[in-house]
Amino acid sequence: MSTRKTNDPLELMQGTLDLLVLQTLAPGRAHGHAIACSIERRSDEVLQVGHGSLYPALQRLLKLGLIEAENGISENNRKARFYRLTAKGRRHLFAEASKWQKFSEAIARILSPAVKENS
Amino acid sequence: MFGWRTRRRELLEEIEAHLAIETQQNIEAGMQPEQAKQTAKRKFGNVLLAVEDSRRVWGAVWLENLLRDIRYSARSLIAAPSYSAALVCTLALGLGCVTAMLAVVQSVLLLPVNLPHPGRLVQIYGEEAAQGVASSQHALSFTAIDALRGDTRSFAGVSGYNTVVLPVTAADGSRVDPLMEVSPEFFQTLGVAATTGRLIGPENARAQVAVVSDAFWRDRMQKSPHAVGSAITVSGRQWTVIGILPAGFHAPGMTGAQVVFLPIAVGPSGQDLFKMESAEVIARLKDDVSIQQARAEAQSVFAHSGRTSAEERRRLEMRSYQELVTGKMQRPLWALLGAALVLLLIACANAANLQIGRMASRMPEMRIRSALGAGMGRLMQQLVTESMLVSLSGAALGCGLAFVAVKAVRHAYGDRYPRFDELSIHPMILIALFALAIVVGIAATAAPALNVRRQVAGRLTTRNTTHRSRLPGLLVAVQVALTCVLLVTSGLFVRTLQLLESVELGFNPKGVTTLVLMPENQGQDPEHSRSIETGLLNRFEALPGVQSVTMQSEIPFSQYGITLNGTTDVSGRPYHKGDSAYYSFVSTSFVKTSGIHLLQGRGFVAKDESSGAIAVLVNEAFVKMFLGNREPIGMTLRFHRDPGDTDADLPLAQAMTVVGVVQNEVQGGDLGAPFQPMVYLDYLALPKTSFLSAVFSMSAQYAVRSPLPAATVAAELRSVVKQDAPTMVELSLKPMEEDISQSLGQRRLALRLVAGFGIVALVLAAVGIYGVLAYSVALRRREIGIRMALGSSRQGAAGLVAGQAMRMVLLGLVPGVAGAWVAGDAVRSFLFGVKALDAETLFVSGGLLLLVASAAALLPAVRASRVDPVETLRAE
Repeated sequence: MSTRKTNDPLELMQGTLDLLVLQTLAPGRAHGHAIACSIERRSDEVLQVGHGSLYPALQRLLKLGLIEAENGISENNRKARFYRLTAKGRRHLFAEASKWQKFSEAIARILSPAVKENS
Repeated sequence: MFGWRTRRRELLEEIEAHLAIETQQNIEAGMQPEQAKQTAKRKFGNVLLAVEDSRRVWGAVWLENLLRDIRYSARSLIAAPSYSAALVCTLALGLGCVTAMLAVVQSVLLLPVNLPHPGRLVQIYGEEAAQGVASSQHALSFTAIDALRGDTRSFAGVSGYNTVVLPVTAADGSRVDPLMEVSPEFFQTLGVAATTGRLIGPENARAQVAVVSDAFWRDRMQKSPHAVGSAITVSGRQWTVIGILPAGFHAPGMTGAQVVFLPIAVGPSGQDLFKMESAEVIARLKDDVSIQQARAEAQSVFAHSGRTSAEERRRLEMRSYQELVTGKMQRPLWALLGAALVLLLIACANAANLQIGRMASRMPEMRIRSALGAGMGRLMQQLVTESMLVSLSGAALGCGLAFVAVKAVRHAYGDRYPRFDELSIHPMILIALFALAIVVGIAATAAPALNVRRQVAGRLTTRNTTHRSRLPGLLVAVQVALTCVLLVTSGLFVRTLQLLESVELGFNPKGVTTLVLMPENQGQDPEHSRSIETGLLNRFEALPGVQSVTMQSEIPFSQYGITLNGTTDVSGRPYHKGDSAYYSFVSTSFVKTSGIHLLQGRGFVAKDESSGAIAVLVNEAFVKMFLGNREPIGMTLRFHRDPGDTDADLPLAQAMTVVGVVQNEVQGGDLGAPFQPMVYLDYLALPKTSFLSAVFSMSAQYAVRSPLPAATVAAELRSVVKQDAPTMVELSLKPMEEDISQSLGQRRLALRLVAGFGIVALVLAAVGIYGVLAYSVALRRREIGIRMALGSSRQGAAGLVAGQAMRMVLLGLVPGVAGAWVAGDAVRSFLFGVKALDAETLFVSGGLLLLVASAAALLPAVRASRVDPVETLRAE
């Protein structure tokens, strides 16, 4: 069991996925497929999310009022739903991003001596 | 629902679009279309899971699940209509009976009576019968009542009342109505106010005023707006109506009757208008006084009050007003509620069995659902939902049944039994009903649910299992036991009624019409009444088609009898304390009219009236008690004279001579009552000075024997009364047999209810036995097939089923008989001539149960005998 788990691609924590989606939408509106591809690209495909798990996250963000949806036409002339950040979402993204920033800095400080020792 | 469907569709469309874009990109990257599609799907992952997860985000999944379960349950129940109908009807019957009985018990026994602070109202009464002329054996003397009112500190009010039945003349003529004389504190103590006018109070206690009940105002005064201020005549006096009571108010012992209330006026002799020296007492406790304190104080005051010597031995007691009103109903109502609960238990067992049987046939479905990933909890939720749906529909249907039943009971018995006019189903009862339904639903699923758990958790390949649970058989045994209790109890009632109907009456009621008359003016000269009544007697006798007529102070089964219980000396026999006999006053042709058998001597003859000695007849019971083996004819009787008694203290000072002996006849209104020693006197032979000769001046009761139809006789009698004695008011005129059959009414009602419960229980038990056997045969097809292949006969297969049925029934009969014994003991007071454990009843009930069980087992047994061994073995 445990051996199988280590081989699995890193599972995304719920909050992380939400943050990624918000980050993706920061420049402007996008539909589901675009968001999924963007996340895949931006996380250097280390985080191999099944595209399907994006949708519950989108629903959650909609419910929280961080993003909003509208109907539109995709680049290949298909009907699609486009998502964009709300003002609340933008504030949330900013707050979360700085929180993560601080957190990762703290982690880096904690880990840096160990890293030195090893190398 | 709630837009979920739309949202779900939109989400699916969105995912569809997502996949299309991905596929498009894959094709552009050079894949084959089919491969592109597959890759896109793989990359996306589980579509339904994504949708499910999204739905969870929307919330209220449990509600949606629940609704879906309900839809699913409803569909699967509709798919098995006979099963569902049987289940719902079973529960509706059980729950309906219990609800109706609960409503009756609550309305009659538990809810406080409709008076302010009813918990503070009590009745104060004497334990032993009152002496002298009294309206009730519980009455206390006026002196004692005054002492209780004046010398105690526990009571906020002490009031007395007497009930009599007298002709009341209003604008619509004269009719006999119940009349209540009340002390000035009566209405104030009860806390009633008039709807119109005022009530009797201390300020008008001596005035000629009357208060009428709502029913009197409606029926006899035609809701006249001028009722208050109008006059009614009672006993030759005029009384001014000063108030009308509210519709819901019933005086104790009066349900829905047209009652007139007059003030009690105690004269200097200590007697009231109706020559009574005592009254029944209702008192209201002060707020801070407990019933024990009040009782102790009242007892000590009563012990020191200047009572008459006759009251010396009496003890004072106290009980709540509610008990006074509904005390007699308590035991029967609780017993019936018990019977209804037994019925519910039977219904519950049936429901559990039906569900176990059905669950067995659904086991493959459960296994498949479990294999597809439904958790145990989810399966259970589905089962419980289905069970709830069934029991709540049962409850709704049962609720309807109960409403109909309660309405019918209120309509039929509203003015016969106290508080039955208040019957209704309160919201509390409905809440209890639905709570009960939920409990029943859960209880009935528990067994099948455990079954599912065991089987689903086990191997998937147990398709051919013949594993059988013992539970259904045990449940049927319980059903049989409970049914046995109900059947035996109703059997005891049937025997009681049979025995009562075959009681030897001692007289012949066939062709006898009874007529009770009352002089409009009760105060008129007794001599005058007597001459009118004797005149009527002669006129009746002269009517064509009338064989004979007698007057009787107590006609058996008439509600208006007057008897005298007198201590008696028999010549040549020393007097013992308690030597008393009942005296009945009759007229000359008594023996001929009543049809009573003359065993010895002669009946009355006309010349007895003029001869000196008073001729009397005695009955067998009298001979047995007072004379033993001595020759009764010619024996002399006297009323016993205590030392110091003067002639005036005796009912009759003259000696009486026995001229004949008659057989025992049933007295009073109860067929089951033991025979009492009786002395019959010729009323017309009584000296005019004796106060006994005034007995008939209160009311005159005639028994008329005629071969003509009762209606013809009634019409003729009425026209004679109208012509010859317009001042006589008719109290009752009916065939004697009608009175006798009415006296059995209460027992008949009890029988009808218990027998009804018994029959329903029997049907339920039969359904239960059938269901279990049918299920068991379905499960054992393979075993039966193999047995047959190995040489068992068809009879052997049927015997297998029959044996199983008999085992279940016999297992239930043993505790059933024990339970029936206990139940029979509980209803002992309703029985006559049978013991609580009656062999004949037990035998018949047991036989009936076996018969019904055999009938129920017949079809499954036949089915078992038709099992084709070849077919079974091929399926292996």
